[in-house]
Amino acid sequence: MEGGQTAVISAATALRTPRAQAQATKPARCKRVLHFVFPVIAAIASAGCGQQAPPQSDRPIGKIITIEAPLGLPPIPVPADDPETAEGVELGRRLFYERRLSAGNVLSCASCHNPQLCFTDGQKHSTGFQGKTGTRNAPTVMNAAYFPYQFWDGRAASLEDQAAGPIANPVEMNQTHDISVSKLNADPSYRAAFEKAFGPGRITINRVEKAIASFERTLISGDSPFDRYQFGGDKTALSPAAIRGLAIFRDQSKGNCAACHTIGQNYALFTDGKFHNIGVGVDGEGNLVDQGRYSETKLDPDRGAFKTPTLRNVALTAPYMHDGSLKTLRDVVDFYAGGGNSNPYLDPKTREIKLSAQDRADLVEFLQSLTGKLPADAGPPAETRTEQSE
Amino acid sequence: MKLHTVFFPICCVVFGSCSTPAHKEAKSDAAPAPVYFKIDPATAGTLAGVVRFKGAKPHPKPVDMTSDPACVDAHHGKPHDESLVVDAKGDLANVFIYVKSGLEGRKFETPSDPVTIDQQGCWFEPRIAGIQVGQTLKVVNSDPVTHNIHPMAEVNRAWNHSQGAGDPPISRKFLKPEIMIPVKCNIHSWMHAYIGVLDHPYFAVSGNDGKFRISNLPPGDYVVEAWQEKLGTQQQKITIPPSGAVETAFTFKGE
Ligand code: HEC
Ligand code: HEC
Repeated sequence: MEGGQTAVISAATALRTPRAQAQATKPARCKRVLHFVFPVIAAIASAGCGQQAPPQSDRPIGKIITIEAPLGLPPIPVPADDPETAEGVELGRRLFYERRLSAGNVLSCASCHNPQLCFTDGQKHSTGFQGKTGTRNAPTVMNAAYFPYQFWDGRAASLEDQAAGPIANPVEMNQTHDISVSKLNADPSYRAAFEKAFGPGRITINRVEKAIASFERTLISGDSPFDRYQFGGDKTALSPAAIRGLAIFRDQSKGNCAACHTIGQNYALFTDGKFHNIGVGVDGEGNLVDQGRYSETKLDPDRGAFKTPTLRNVALTAPYMHDGSLKTLRDVVDFYAGGGNSNPYLDPKTREIKLSAQDRADLVEFLQSLTGKLPADAGPPAETRTEQSE
Repeated sequence: MKLHTVFFPICCVVFGSCSTPAHKEAKSDAAPAPVYFKIDPATAGTLAGVVRFKGAKPHPKPVDMTSDPACVDAHHGKPHDESLVVDAKGDLANVFIYVKSGLEGRKFETPSDPVTIDQQGCWFEPRIAGIQVGQTLKVVNSDPVTHNIHPMAEVNRAWNHSQGAGDPPISRKFLKPEIMIPVKCNIHSWMHAYIGVLDHPYFAVSGNDGKFRISNLPPGDYVVEAWQEKLGTQQQKITIPPSGAVETAFTFKGE
């Protein structure tokens, strides 16, 4: 049945003249609107608009599936030109664990986004190609589908934009996109899987990005004790200390954490999707080590500002902050309690935080209640396991 | 994109040629390397003395650290308030004594050794520290907890810095003289210290026996001030004759 549908769609695509196709794809590409609360930067998505229509469609062709959002999370935003399909997700999952996407076939996305560590690597700074280390801590990919910006400095607007970055990054997987594509092309099972997901045509880096992003959109985790307490009506789901911690988290005259780590009426992302300087990454002499968001915007107030990370599953993703400088949740809470590190661009909201010793203990307890249920099919697919032992 | 690379060198050339004369002028205007005052060891003298306390012997209040149990463990012994430390004989410790005037117009070299403040047992060690302008203040955290040292400077720039257990020392400098900068820990409200910043090396802190000594002082007339965090300041006019060893005493009265 699905096969038949596939054939119809690709036949229709083939019948269109390149021009007609350009018109057909243009609006979708330009808008790429994530149906979601965050403002979306259309500018980045529109980069491809003026160009010639691509010779083949990189839109997934299978039956569109819906990924159910768990308790505490809103519907998952899906870009119009990369709908979720079972074939796309399955392919993306394989690619996420694919070491052939790196020079020397040594690293996959999962090397730094390990499902066992809630898709982080447990290191201060990630170790990439030949042991090279970057300067930033690997954030979790779990729930990244909800973020309006990717990376600590927001330099990618979508999961699709993000995915190709690490493959070619010299300190990460260090392999040109041409080589990645040709390695995949050499494997008939990949050629088949790409055609199944995107229709006839070559494997392209664009298709690789889309498949990986499709898989990442299934990495959604909610239904934590906090969600059951807050949105599920289960008043026993949290310990008394965690309930006190939640109150402190929201209280503007105490933790004021929810000012940036947002909790909504019907769901909670624990991020405002914005960038703030909370005084992380200031050296002993008082200078900012990493300019953060400023490197993208060149706006002074963005100096040392980093994306507010989600706090879901935060108990599983140590160490913390963009530079991995804080080892435990206790360290994080103490960091806030002390007002962080002074610097000229510090967000004034952090200065208002007032936490007693009891407040700090309760906050840590609360942060521990944010560990959610992990999706079932997130780990490496069976076939990759055997390939990795090659 | 290509255009940028083409334009860039041209811009450089233009600016380069323009800025050459200005650059030269700036150079001839530049201040000469600082000439430091040479202390003649043959004539330098010493000011030594003792600080005493008169009045009812204070009873230091115990400090309650129970809100951070790790601090209770880290602080060996029972902590007591140290804002007024008097021994059995009435000697007053932790008084900052320094030359307030009489050294004008002389420039002294900045020592390369840092002044260290350790956070140990959720306590600042030492409580009273003197440092020279431009000298490095090294802040160490020897505790198993996070501290956030906060020198509340007014003449210098105030700052605060978070230091977790095992974090490396931090190094800072103060660029202007300031008597005295109160220092607190943003996390542990009972932690207090004071830093005196001077543009010369003539300062001392009285020990538990109340004694202090300022040596290598060029002969001359000085105003010397003694500062105590609760009892305020006192001044004395002191003359140091060549190679003189002058003895003095300060007495602070309790409330
Ligand atoms: C060598 C380690 C390493 C590898 C391999 C790696 N990443 Fe990452 N990833 C990181 C680091 C470090 C960051 C943060 C970098 C930054 O913000 O500048 C990051 C950021 C991300 C983000 C942004 C998440 C957020 O909250 O902003 C996503 C999504 C992501 N990676 C997906 C992937 C995918 C997909 C792959 C494989 C194609 C991959 N990563 C390979 C280390 C790695
Ligand atoms: C002004 C906005 C703001 C406020 C208020 C705020 N945060 Fe954050 N939080 C951030 C940003 C931005 C980061 C990342 C900073 C960086 O890495 O430089 C962050 C990082 C964190 C992290 C580390 C997460 C990780 O995965 O590395 C935790 C935990 C955290 N915050 C908890 C809290 C708590 C608890 C409070 C309240 C006491 C709080 N935050 C208040 C913006 C804020």
